[in-house]
Amino acid sequence: MLKEEILKEFQKIVGDENIDDGEVTTNTYAYNWCVEFVNYLANKDPIPFSSIPKAIILPSTTEEVQKIVQLCNKYDIQFKAQSTGLGPWNQPSTDNCVILDLRRMNKIVKIDVKNLYVVVEPYVSGAQIQVEVMKFGLNIHMPGAGPMASALASHTSMCGPGFTSPQTGHSARNVLGTEWVLPTGKILRLGSLGLKKESDWYSGDGPGPSLRGIMRGWVGTKSGLGVFTRVAMKLFPYPCNTKYIAKGHSPLYDFHLPDFIRAYLLDCRNFKHLEKSLLRIEEEEIAFICSHMSSFAVMAIFSYSLESLMDKIAIGSMKKPLVIVIAARTKREFDYKQKVMNLIMDELNLTNIIGSKYEPKSLFYAECLRANLGYHGFIATGGFQSAKGQCDTAALCLNTERKNIPLKQKYIEKGVIANDFGEGAWMTSYESGHYFHMEVPTLFDQTNAESVKGIAEYMEESNQMDLVKHLGTPFFIEGDELHDEWGPHLMNYHIWLRKIKETFDPNGISDPGFYISSKKGDV
Amino acid sequence: MEEEEYQKMIKRCVRCSVCKWIPQVQIKSQKYASGCPAIDIYNFHPYSGGGKIIIALAYEMGRIKPTEELRDIVYKCTACGNCAVACKYMNTLEPLEIIMKLREKLVNTGCGPMPQQQAYIEAVKKVNNPYNEPHEKRTDWIPDDVTLDPNAKILYFVGCTSSYRRKEMAIATARIMNEAGVSFNILQNDEFCCGSPILRIGDTTTFEEILNKNLDIIESRGIETVVFSCAGCYDTFKVDYPLSRKFDFEVKHTVELFDELIESEQLKLTDNVPIIVTYHDPCHLGRNAERYEDWDGDVVPLMPLVSINIPPKPKRTGSKGIYDAPRKILKKIPGLKLLEMERIQEYAYCCGAGAGVKSAFPEMALKTANMRIEEAEDSGADFLVSACPFCSTNLQDGINDKKSKLKYFDISEILLMALGLEPEKLKQATAEVL
Amino acid sequence: MIMNNDNFLQNLTKICGSRNISREPKDLEEYSKDLSFLKGKSPLCIVWPSKSQEVIKIVKLANDLKFHVIPVSLNSRFKQHGNSIPRKDKSIILNLSRMNKILSINRKNRVVMVEPGVTFEKLIPILKKEGLKLLLPVMPTASQSVLATALEREPITIPRYHWDSSDPLLCIEVVFGTGDLFRTGTAAGPGTIKQQQKMGQAQVNPMGPTQFSPFRIIQGAQGSLGVVTWATLKLELFPSIQKVYHLQSDNIQDLLDLQYELLKYRLCDELFILNDVNLACLLKEDQQEISQLVGNLERWNLIFIISGRGPLANDKISYLEGDIDDISAELGLNFSKSKVEITDKEIFHFLNEPCENPWRMRLKGAYQDMFFLTSFEKLPKFISLMETKFEKDLGIYIQPINQGTSYHIEFDLLYDPKDINEMKSIKEKNMGVRAQLMDFGAFFSKPYGLWAKDVFSHHSLEIIDALKKVKKIFDPNNVLNPGVLCFDD
Ligand SMILES: Cc1cc2nc3c(=O)[nH]c(=O)nc-3n(C[C@H](O)[C@H](O)[C@H](O)COP(=O)(O)OP(=O)(O)OC[C@H]3O[C@@H](n4cnc5c(N)ncnc54)[C@H](O)[C@@H]3O)c2cc1C
Ligand code: SF4
Ligand code: SF4
Repeated sequence: MLKEEILKEFQKIVGDENIDDGEVTTNTYAYNWCVEFVNYLANKDPIPFSSIPKAIILPSTTEEVQKIVQLCNKYDIQFKAQSTGLGPWNQPSTDNCVILDLRRMNKIVKIDVKNLYVVVEPYVSGAQIQVEVMKFGLNIHMPGAGPMASALASHTSMCGPGFTSPQTGHSARNVLGTEWVLPTGKILRLGSLGLKKESDWYSGDGPGPSLRGIMRGWVGTKSGLGVFTRVAMKLFPYPCNTKYIAKGHSPLYDFHLPDFIRAYLLDCRNFKHLEKSLLRIEEEEIAFICSHMSSFAVMAIFSYSLESLMDKIAIGSMKKPLVIVIAARTKREFDYKQKVMNLIMDELNLTNIIGSKYEPKSLFYAECLRANLGYHGFIATGGFQSAKGQCDTAALCLNTERKNIPLKQKYIEKGVIANDFGEGAWMTSYESGHYFHMEVPTLFDQTNAESVKGIAEYMEESNQMDLVKHLGTPFFIEGDELHDEWGPHLMNYHIWLRKIKETFDPNGISDPGFYISSKKGDV
Repeated sequence: MEEEEYQKMIKRCVRCSVCKWIPQVQIKSQKYASGCPAIDIYNFHPYSGGGKIIIALAYEMGRIKPTEELRDIVYKCTACGNCAVACKYMNTLEPLEIIMKLREKLVNTGCGPMPQQQAYIEAVKKVNNPYNEPHEKRTDWIPDDVTLDPNAKILYFVGCTSSYRRKEMAIATARIMNEAGVSFNILQNDEFCCGSPILRIGDTTTFEEILNKNLDIIESRGIETVVFSCAGCYDTFKVDYPLSRKFDFEVKHTVELFDELIESEQLKLTDNVPIIVTYHDPCHLGRNAERYEDWDGDVVPLMPLVSINIPPKPKRTGSKGIYDAPRKILKKIPGLKLLEMERIQEYAYCCGAGAGVKSAFPEMALKTANMRIEEAEDSGADFLVSACPFCSTNLQDGINDKKSKLKYFDISEILLMALGLEPEKLKQATAEVL
Repeated sequence: MIMNNDNFLQNLTKICGSRNISREPKDLEEYSKDLSFLKGKSPLCIVWPSKSQEVIKIVKLANDLKFHVIPVSLNSRFKQHGNSIPRKDKSIILNLSRMNKILSINRKNRVVMVEPGVTFEKLIPILKKEGLKLLLPVMPTASQSVLATALEREPITIPRYHWDSSDPLLCIEVVFGTGDLFRTGTAAGPGTIKQQQKMGQAQVNPMGPTQFSPFRIIQGAQGSLGVVTWATLKLELFPSIQKVYHLQSDNIQDLLDLQYELLKYRLCDELFILNDVNLACLLKEDQQEISQLVGNLERWNLIFIISGRGPLANDKISYLEGDIDDISAELGLNFSKSKVEITDKEIFHFLNEPCENPWRMRLKGAYQDMFFLTSFEKLPKFISLMETKFEKDLGIYIQPINQGTSYHIEFDLLYDPKDINEMKSIKEKNMGVRAQLMDFGAFFSKPYGLWAKDVFSHHSLEIIDALKKVKKIFDPNNVLNPGVLCFDD
């Protein structure tokens, strides 16, 4: 609860109906996915509730956000911004925090067809953008989380891998002009947006150095360094014709396949063969989707329920599966791409399991195009989180996967995470194979205390392994403790990151829980 | 939902917000992507289906108390069930059932329902209808020229709203059946509220009494088929009654019956009805009208943490609602053109009236109706058609409030026009939109 | 510590060896000016370090003794923008040209790691042998530093490979203004570069470490935040077949419309538009030949290349040709044939090879360039403005960048350096026109030399404030290249 007079001041900014400090609302916002094991890791009670926010505020404009942030500075109250709000990184790290739910900032500000970008506010979902830009033959990059997630959050503040990354890259690299309310309440407009006259969204860099460098990294600052209120994001060609029709009824909609789309499911013999195949296919620049995943995960992306997952034995015993989707706008393009695939399959002695041993439902293609494959991670246990998250070459990703299997198996044997033979991994190419990332989706049961404890411990051990064996940096190195642990092994980056925090947030108002605080551990 | 399942399920929401939208692969525009009226209007997460699952958990954990704040949030929800369809596209949670159970718990502690809703419970108890109208006036709608057959095996259950508020629907239904030569009867003074409005606000005890009373009467009359023109009554009989007490008679919504009558040519659509319509799927005729299928399989542990149902447990996904019948009827009407809205069938957007919202939160009902009206307008149609007296009332309120040019008709009224029974009405209606 | 000539030189000598320091008046004179109109100060000396450790020591020394360090990657002969000549007393030139190793070439992961002294002349042929293609700006100078070019966000000619404005720059090793060594992106660790490579890593992910991407602030900083000692650069595979399209028109809009479609669907590799003057300068070296060619070219020239590789190279070419034909037909465009024969070879030459002397100098001996970013619709407006100001000897180059999300447009004012009047007039007009361009919304994302001040005055104070904060973090004593950008105002 807020003090009466402070509440009044916030109300003045957003109107009475757009702030709520009641018990029910604040408790609801204290809950999130995976909070139970985050709590466990922080030696707290492993319940799915974090610290309770003091109030939830629903601003509708950048100016309102700015005023809220200024008021937070005035009263020394921290804030946490959230867009679609999925995941523990949306949670306040102390009791002295308000949540800015940006749900009312839900406009597509502009679709710039000629300059191939779209400008949006925080609460516009990936699917909402996609359906609007498709009208111009264009597409948007969406994270694996799915089309319901905020595109702005992914581009400015979160991670950024997606199933279509071979063609649509990584969120962090698709950012153009950005409007950013700094933790002090000043509004920073990056790149061409900062021009006093004729400002526009087409560039987010400069003049001079690009402040995108402090805005986010491989992962975002997760509301640890202000609030992003509008962002311009690159658009990509929609990979095939834009008729998108799903008839019938939920969940097994009958998707009318666009003319030129085809999936390949290939089984590579071993990691070496897989690496070769990945690189070979990607350097031909033909794939819309190019993902390696375990057989278990392959079964999951083709399934719409746990029960139907279990009847996919035909594909359940693959060695090193590779899922490729090609799509084309014209028949010529399609024929060419298929020819290339045939050539490579001949060269590498691969056969397409789709069409021979297995035929996916048409819905699979609908989900490929709408980036809805990630959610299948929840099918088996209802609980899931990814360990790892390193990103560099295919070789690094596959080495990491290989070394991780025995570790994961150890926890599977303990019965605390579900059995995917230890192999559960998802790896995707970016920018036609210029780099790759891998993560290890791990299935747990959030209602089972042992399982919660188990995944937490597994995650910790997995991080340790990556650190010691030089396997790259996982996604979730965030918060003071992990930064202080990893920093010394990564050029003491934590010192610089902390200086950025200190400089741009002198009062420590932007919740540092999933970023870094300025106070601790400076060397 | 059984208590044990409830306790398990409320711990499983992943807060993905999928339930705020229609199923992702059905989104066709930014404007009509959302699926939950409550979150659309009130914005704070607890108003969404998933939000109410969190509330349920917080409540069970003693983190929140039964207060007015809690009550208001839980009742600002039309129980439209979009959240359940969206969640179960991939996940397995039952947000709507959890909301219902939560309401039941609030009623049991005396925290729920809303005072206006309590008033209509009292009315039902007293005069058998939530509108507090005299019971004896229930049959006032019956025109002289309608023929009833005391020996008929088909019963037309008129329902409170059609009897008192949307008489035109009851009349149209009766006339169409007469025209087709279907002999039917009504319960006259033995017809009482079906209990739907009471069930949806969580008073399961009163509901139980009502359903037993109704079933006793119907069963005592040797009825084979009960026909409903009200989607709410239909859903309650079809889906909710059997959960407490099984019965042998068949239940049918009028759109199903009319569709059959057209197919069998008992009804001949002779007249041109040159209008452009769009059809609103009532939640209670659509996604919520899917029966629970019996399942007594086994939960088999497959490996640690993973158990499966053998045989697979049927999931109520909204796919078995009544979607085709009304569309088939409309498409067969000569001269009529049907244009679809973006959100249809199991992912249709609610009219805004359901589950006690119209009485307790009229502003929410109206706002929701306005959004739906806008979507109907955007479809390019001049006429909005549906098959539920509740939707009818609320959507017409929306049309008036929004000063929309749309004209609303129940599907039975359109059918009357096609049967040549309402030439004047047709003339007048087309003149008005043109 | 107070700086005096003795301890300063002694220390530097200790670090780099006396052979790597020069105080020759001729050298000092050379590094005090460049081809811009900016007047610099004479540096105290020029130092040529040979490894990062030396750079660290020098920058630390500069912090201790309070002198300034101006990092330069190449010898200064063709430097143009006044960004690496001393603006302050007590400055030394840190010339990185002797750090010129190609540290690794990785065909599998399409990446190369180079030190700052590696030139285009050196790198291009070596990579070609491996079947690899460097992403080039339009005909760079042979002696130009590949790394420095990438650090300056020079536009590349293949916009579909320009996935991010920072491409082709990936990871860097950098000595910040504090003297601290840092590696960015995945190069940060865990583990040394060797240990990382053992695990299969090739420093191809520029993002990070973790929640920031410091390479982005070093890029475009004109050496004022850190000294880069190596970088990895993204490469592409060399095609086996290429087909040149050279379309000419009097109407730039037609060409713009076509290039938009080509880029939207990622149909071609190299893609840009040149006016007659600039195309002639790229094709011919001799003044007379250039002038003659200008007379025979249409005003606007769209050049794009389609390519194929491997056994299906021809299939790819024919699919692309077919799709491009369809698009041209849809747009209903008709382009004129060239009145002179320009061979594919000539075009490939300027696309793939560096030039000895800057091509922009070929016609008149000197030039001043103005380049900025803008959007598709605004291009014609800027062109008309410039064409009214400069009736002749105006080269124009339009490069879609960042996969078509913005356009680099460059106006090259060619003049005769021996003609004092011409030079004076160019100098005067130069500043005036820039101001006008800025008023029209030109986004000078790389503000150099004399006009940096003007650029920043056209931007919100918040940007300047934020940049200054960043400077304070990474170069708190203003040791590195003082006076550039907005840092000294
Ligand atoms: C099944 C599944 C698969 C996933 N796969 C992927 C994947 O492939 N790739 C990937 O990148 N991620 C993945 N994720 C994680 C995913 O990115 C996040 O869970 C998801 O993006 C949630 O983010 P959101 O869009 O809802 O944004 P939010 O949850 O609203 O925000 C994410 C973070 O950014 C902060 N934030 C949000 N908006 C702002 C703002 N305007 N200003 C400042 N800070 C803000 C929040 O505080 C929070 O810390 C996956 C998650 C799931 C559940
Ligand atoms: S109820 Fe279902 S759809 Fe809604 S947030 Fe929870 S898990 Fe997601
Ligand atoms: S039942 Fe309808 S109104 Fe209620 S939470 Fe679910 S979707 Fe929203």
